Amino acid sequence: MGTGLSGLMAVMRKELRQTFRDRRMVAILIMAPLIQTVVLGYAVDLDVDAVPTVVCDRDQSPASRALVQEYLAGGTFRLVGRAAEPADAERWLDRGDAAVALILERGLGERLRAGQAASVQVFIDGSDSNRALVAMSASTQFFVGRAARLSQERLSWLERLQGRSLAVPRLTLEPRIMYNPRLSSPRYMVPGVAAFLLLLVTTLLTAMGIARERELGTLEQILVTPLSPMALLTGKCLPFAFLGLIDVAGLVAIGALLFDVPMRGPLWLVFAGTLVYLLTTLGIGILISTVSRTQQQAMLGALFFMLPALLLSGFATPIGNMPGWLQPITYLNPMRYFVEFMRGCLIRGSGLAELWPKLLVLLVFGLSVLGLGALRFRKRLA
Amino acid sequence: MGPEAVIEVAGLTRRFGSFTAVQQVSFSVRAGEIFGFLGANGAGKSTTIRILCGLLAPSEGHACVAGIDVARDPEAVKRSIGYMSQKFSLYLDLTAEENLEFFGGAYGLGRRALRQRGRELLARVGLRERSAEITGRLPGGMRQRLALAAAMLHRPRILFLDEPTSGVDPRARQSFWALIREAAREGVTVFVTTHAMDEAEFCDRIGLMADGRLRALDTPDGLKRSFLPGEMFHLELSPDRSIDALASQPGVLRIESAGAAYRLRVEAGRFDPEKLRALLGPAAVRVERVEPDLEDVFLEVVTQARGEAVP
Ligand SMILES: Nc1ncnc2c1ncn2[C@@H]1O[C@H](COP(=O)(O)OP(=O)(O)O)[C@@H](O)[C@H]1O
Ligand SMILES: [Mg+2]
Repeated sequence: MGTGLSGLMAVMRKELRQTFRDRRMVAILIMAPLIQTVVLGYAVDLDVDAVPTVVCDRDQSPASRALVQEYLAGGTFRLVGRAAEPADAERWLDRGDAAVALILERGLGERLRAGQAASVQVFIDGSDSNRALVAMSASTQFFVGRAARLSQERLSWLERLQGRSLAVPRLTLEPRIMYNPRLSSPRYMVPGVAAFLLLLVTTLLTAMGIARERELGTLEQILVTPLSPMALLTGKCLPFAFLGLIDVAGLVAIGALLFDVPMRGPLWLVFAGTLVYLLTTLGIGILISTVSRTQQQAMLGALFFMLPALLLSGFATPIGNMPGWLQPITYLNPMRYFVEFMRGCLIRGSGLAELWPKLLVLLVFGLSVLGLGALRFRKRLA
Repeated sequence: MGPEAVIEVAGLTRRFGSFTAVQQVSFSVRAGEIFGFLGANGAGKSTTIRILCGLLAPSEGHACVAGIDVARDPEAVKRSIGYMSQKFSLYLDLTAEENLEFFGGAYGLGRRALRQRGRELLARVGLRERSAEITGRLPGGMRQRLALAAAMLHRPRILFLDEPTSGVDPRARQSFWALIREAAREGVTVFVTTHAMDEAEFCDRIGLMADGRLRALDTPDGLKRSFLPGEMFHLELSPDRSIDALASQPGVLRIESAGAAYRLRVEAGRFDPEKLRALLGPAAVRVERVEPDLEDVFLEVVTQARGEAVP
């Protein structure tokens, strides 16, 4: 009984006209996502270097000074001050002026020269867990390396003394990080940013767009026409879906140009995945609009959904780091699958063969949410 | 009852939670009629219209519009009706022409037919010169005429107009009513709500709503005859003088105060202005015979309704 294609086209034309007539809207839809990507890409740089470090060298021997110098030379640690006593060094940490304190005890050089056991203390401020982990691993790597070198020197000295070679088994670890060898975080972030911005643009604007028509009364005028709810919803959503694709294109380009996102996977797959994800984000927008009377309610409703979706998507913190009870909940979060899909496609270069399960989940989510939204919307007419 | 009825309502009731907005309303509207729905704010006029347009489901009762049961097939009703809601509900950020283009598309008009019909209607409602202006910049009267044009795009047989002239200046009201009459002359049935009693005089028949009930239904003259038998006088008294001297006179039916003035209704033939002056003495500043208007009818109906509601 609907008016089919002519109605759908009329809604789309109207929607595009209204959107592009409003300059601020164009800015929100196209410029903002791109600018945000750049800003987020730089601001959420999780790379850790130059950790502020305080040194407490109570030995003051040539050996201890050399140790400190080499420890700082790697670039992970940056000297911010010196402390006379370990208690002073701790105060630096308490005040937050340093995140790492390196403590070298008196007699360290002496003991090493004498071939005795000696220990070094490193205090690490754990309040920023990511930084603490990096500091910890850099310190471990450094001192394990130093220890190996010291025993090697001792061994060579013994060999020279005894005039024969002493075979000592040695095991070295050679870690190699795949796909993101420099552990650069923008690479890790860009797919998440894409997922979030699409959510922002499509869910928020769909929810608010429909709520606006309800609030202003234009929906009532539409509902006395034979225009079918399907044509109305499709006509309202398609322009936003199209803008979403443009945003993703811009985002991928920025990622490639500014942040070295490798773009290994096929581009068509990126767009296909985006389209499937959009079913969900648009459907949620429609669902939210059916429970909102005003634009303000729609906005709050959208935020109420978007914030947990964002936090539980593995956007910035890996899901594996979340508390155990929380992790299963992330399987209910469509955004999680899209973030994983985009990482797989852009960074690991996975193709359809590896990524289809995620696409399938997104498709199921999308069709259910969209169907539910359309159904609820239809019911609200009566 | 003369020509066919295009709207037939029987026992219509609509509840919102425990509140009954429309209660047991029954009436019918004939083809080509201008049917006025009168009542104070909250009387249930808009709720009735929304049910008739298929926007709200009735809680009880039946409503047939253009021969179709609106509760059973609201979609089928939509092609035969045009609706102007109480709140202006075209897009303020589109031009007049774009609004018509959108709603024409929603009604499934083809592009060419739409362009022609749009031009024709814009000329008819006097908006041809301003068709490219953003609707939000048009004055109120023009917006209402544009909304009427949008409601008529698909040549509906029935027009539902919910307070189309509220908040519009008197000249714009007149031009709007000229459009309503023009449509009626072409055979369109017009169902219009208002709380402006002077406009109601233009209607062929009037239904009076109070507190969700239809209290009276007749032509304007019929309503006056049945609710206001006798003669009406307009009285003005000097300040501080009481009208009590009249109240006890036999043949006095009702005295309504309207500010410093009074409207007096008496049995026909028992009083004339001279007699009233004599009765009131020096208190009378002005005494004249007047024709009853629908305002008087309305007050009478509401008073009677309240009297019934008390026991
Ligand atoms: N959707 C609704 N929910 C609850 N109450 C409503 C709703 N629509 C109307 N009402 C109430 O029903 C009564 C009649 O309203 P309405 O039909 O708009 O009156 P009118 O158009 O005569 O001013 C009012 O008291 C109004 O508050
Ligand atoms: Mg009303």
